[in-house]
Amino acid sequence: MITIKDLKKSFRTEEVETLALNGVNLHVEEGEFVAIMGPSGCGKSTLLNIVGMLDNPTEGGYNFAGNEVAGLKESQRTQLRKGNLGFVFQSFNLIDELTVYENVELPLIYLKMGKSERKQKVMEVLERMKIAHREKHFPQQLSGGQQQRVAISRAVVTNPKLILADEPTGNLDSKNGIEVMNLLTELNQEGTTIVMVTHSDRDSHYAHRVINLFDGQIVTESKNREIGAMV
Amino acid sequence: MFTLYLKTAWRNISQKKGLSLLNIAGLSLGMAATILIGMWVYDELSFNKDFENYTSITQVMQTQTFNDEIRTDFNQPMQLAPVLRNDYGSYFKHVITSTFSFDALFTVENTKLSHTGNFAEPGMADMLSLKMISGSRGALEDPASILLSESMAKAFFGIENATGKSIQLGSETLLTIGGVYEDLPRNTSFSQLEFLGSWDFLKDNQGWEERTGWGNNWFQVFAQLNEGVDVEVASNAIANAKMDNLSDDDASGKRLKPTMLLHPLKKWHLYSRFENGINTGGAIDRVWLLGVIGAFILLLACINFMNLSTAQSVKRAKEVGIRKTIGSIKYQLISQFLVESLLVVSTAFVFALLLVVLAQGTFNEITGKAIIIPWDSAYFWISCLLFILVTSFLSGSYPAFYLSSFKPVKVLKGTFERKQNAVSLRKVLVVSQFAISTVLIIGTITIFKQIQYAQDRPLGYDKSGMFYFSITNEDMRDRFETLKSQLLESTDIEEVAASDVLVTGTFTTNSGFDWKGKDPEFGDEFLTLRATHDFGEMINWELTKGRGFSREFKSDSLAFLVNETAVDYMGLENPIGEFVQWGDNGKFKIIGVVKDMVTRSPYTKVRPTIFTLHYGSFLNYINVKVKTGASTVAALSHAEDVFKEYNPQRPFTYQFLDDYYEEYFIAEKRTGKLISFFTFLAIFISCLGIFGLSAFIAEQRTKEIGVRKVLGASVYAIWRMLSKDFILLVLISSIIAVPIGYYYMNNWIGDFDYNTSLNWWVFALAIFGALLITLITISFQAIKAAVMNPVTSLRTE
Repeated sequence: MITIKDLKKSFRTEEVETLALNGVNLHVEEGEFVAIMGPSGCGKSTLLNIVGMLDNPTEGGYNFAGNEVAGLKESQRTQLRKGNLGFVFQSFNLIDELTVYENVELPLIYLKMGKSERKQKVMEVLERMKIAHREKHFPQQLSGGQQQRVAISRAVVTNPKLILADEPTGNLDSKNGIEVMNLLTELNQEGTTIVMVTHSDRDSHYAHRVINLFDGQIVTESKNREIGAMV
Repeated sequence: MFTLYLKTAWRNISQKKGLSLLNIAGLSLGMAATILIGMWVYDELSFNKDFENYTSITQVMQTQTFNDEIRTDFNQPMQLAPVLRNDYGSYFKHVITSTFSFDALFTVENTKLSHTGNFAEPGMADMLSLKMISGSRGALEDPASILLSESMAKAFFGIENATGKSIQLGSETLLTIGGVYEDLPRNTSFSQLEFLGSWDFLKDNQGWEERTGWGNNWFQVFAQLNEGVDVEVASNAIANAKMDNLSDDDASGKRLKPTMLLHPLKKWHLYSRFENGINTGGAIDRVWLLGVIGAFILLLACINFMNLSTAQSVKRAKEVGIRKTIGSIKYQLISQFLVESLLVVSTAFVFALLLVVLAQGTFNEITGKAIIIPWDSAYFWISCLLFILVTSFLSGSYPAFYLSSFKPVKVLKGTFERKQNAVSLRKVLVVSQFAISTVLIIGTITIFKQIQYAQDRPLGYDKSGMFYFSITNEDMRDRFETLKSQLLESTDIEEVAASDVLVTGTFTTNSGFDWKGKDPEFGDEFLTLRATHDFGEMINWELTKGRGFSREFKSDSLAFLVNETAVDYMGLENPIGEFVQWGDNGKFKIIGVVKDMVTRSPYTKVRPTIFTLHYGSFLNYINVKVKTGASTVAALSHAEDVFKEYNPQRPFTYQFLDDYYEEYFIAEKRTGKLISFFTFLAIFISCLGIFGLSAFIAEQRTKEIGVRKVLGASVYAIWRMLSKDFILLVLISSIIAVPIGYYYMNNWIGDFDYNTSLNWWVFALAIFGALLITLITISFQAIKAAVMNPVTSLRTE
């Protein structure tokens, strides 16, 4: 599903050029659950952003489901991203001015889906995430765990092929963290590919494969289990 | 999608209450000012448009060359219209001689009322397309008939039909009412036309045919162009209509080189100024001035919106990032932000309308207008809608494009920093706000300085305690000496004198004087004031040479007093004893020189003036001086009693010269009041903006302030740090504002002959004012941030 070849990404400020990714090669199969680990500043999030088409690489190739992504314009990336990708962030990133229902509905609106169909999908996913009773609440009225469930709802409501999770449990206590990881695993078992950046060893065990990044390069890869095998 | 935009926008507005309040307050004030100015401009531009023949009516003007200037006036001789009709008839549908508007006394049974109107040739009713309620426009073909306005007819006859009834003009003449027309609209040149009488009747009644020639420019002439005739062409064609008809021996008339021209109705109101015979604008300057001020005030309010919206970009950035990540396209975000500004602007508009309703009365009072909001006009609402859309776009487009351009990856990663160009643009906007405000402050100070300067101008005479009333019949004129002694019976009255014009308004001009050493080509023109013996002493004028009029010298009936300017103008070394030939009036001896007096607008220079003794038919006013410390009420009541003896039926009307003189300041005071009102608004709106902005900056720097305080910074140091940037911006704006203000105000005071100067302190005061206001505004936020406990400020991170 994802093939990344010799990917480089550098950031320029006025005086220095920082190489965040330095020749990364990565292949992710459809249905795989991959965890990316590494110390702060090793390039994890940069890699995730490029995989998520939020950013363009400086050099190298990125093929997503048969489409070459590197070098696309922002509007083209937006088109490709819509409906194919779901994002889950450490800080949830819900829109404070919208209710739970409206936050989850938003990607469907951008997909220009009809109103009744939207409603059906949103309610389905909210019920599955056990947050339907909070649909009229605003994000600030929810606990962290609840907010992350809403964020996951929003990420999966379009049935994306790929979910990108950036430290999804980083802001949660362990009970809520485990719950979120179980949700992601469930989604993965239903066929969604997941790429997750994490600091947590516990979380990384949910993945099929762990990639260790250091100074912008993949240093080790380890396999936890085969695709389709239970934890 | 739109409802979602609207919903999000509404939640954004209602959640950020303080910010929304600032935005809405600024925008409503700005919009209210713009609506008021807009209605005023519309009123000015639609002046006279109610006439059906708006495009074809013209006034025949006359340009004459005097010795030192070329002047263009309305005044025309009665001989002109027949010449235009006969020799240039193909251009015109109507050529009409008319009197100027004047007050006349009318009587029906026991009702006596004074009304204003004109006597004109019959075509006038047709030219003005008077809407007849009864009778016909053609009725004036009969010289013994008169047309009345609806309100005048109602005043005499109630609501019953007045047509066919008789009305008495003056003391004996009976006229038949030939018709009643609807009152003419308020904002037209003829709004005062309460009656229209027959020119033929008045001409015969006054014996003008015998008394006046081509040199007596006592009337006005209107001309309506035939269809398809170009004004310019017709105007050029008639240029010599008077010159060609002056008799060969009329050297003084020809010397003035009279040139005729047509001034179209659509230019009467806004383009009435002529310089050197050329139409150079007029009130349109004021329309532009206010229009520009209105646009600027709106701009100020929009700048507030832009500044406050982009200042909170850090907060909005996250939302933009999320939306983009989820799949929003840029234009959807732009639409969302525009909907937000549309909602804010629409809310502000509702308050603006409310403010306009509240301010309407005061505004009309200041501007001397009677503008009302045309609630039932579709055009009004369409204009409002356009206004809302334009304002929304103006204030919302930059924030929309700016905010929607954020890169989600940066925003969400938390490495987001405010773009440097947005900060500098915000600085540019603040600088322009203060530059505009400072220019307005400079303007306000200059206008009031000029008014004060003119008010402080030494007059050269004393008008205190003086009032006048009109001589309304021959009896008063003939028995002036008796009337005078009757008035002097009161112990409150010090002196009484009659004159043809007032010392505060000497508008009569005469030419055709001859004196020793005068260049034959010299086109002379003097102001003249005819008065009885005691006039000079009464106003306490100052004689620099010779003596005043005296009863001891019978020969003084052929004596002149001249002012100093006249002495220079005539080029006389030793004026006393010189003789001046005044046309057929005789040879006059100059017996004294009067120190220059301000006898007209205090903004103009003193003109050459001649004073003569007079006890005849030219006398128009009785001037009365009340003793110092005496009761004016008693003096007035005594004067009324005396007046009633001569004029039992007429109401007694009088005016104090102080009040008369004060009228010269009305226009400038009006402009001054308007400008200061809008200056205040502009400053207030700008302050709302920097108030919000400084709050934002203080909030953004909370952590820094906390750290600085922990390290030992004083409240003063923090205050100085937060204020410094704004002070710098105000100073930069001053550098921009001073030359602009200097340029415009220097032009403005240049329009007056008697003008104040633009001293350095005008600019210093304006800059100081702007600085002080800024400091007060931002100090509120700066001090609040500075006194905050550093522990709290650090915890907020």
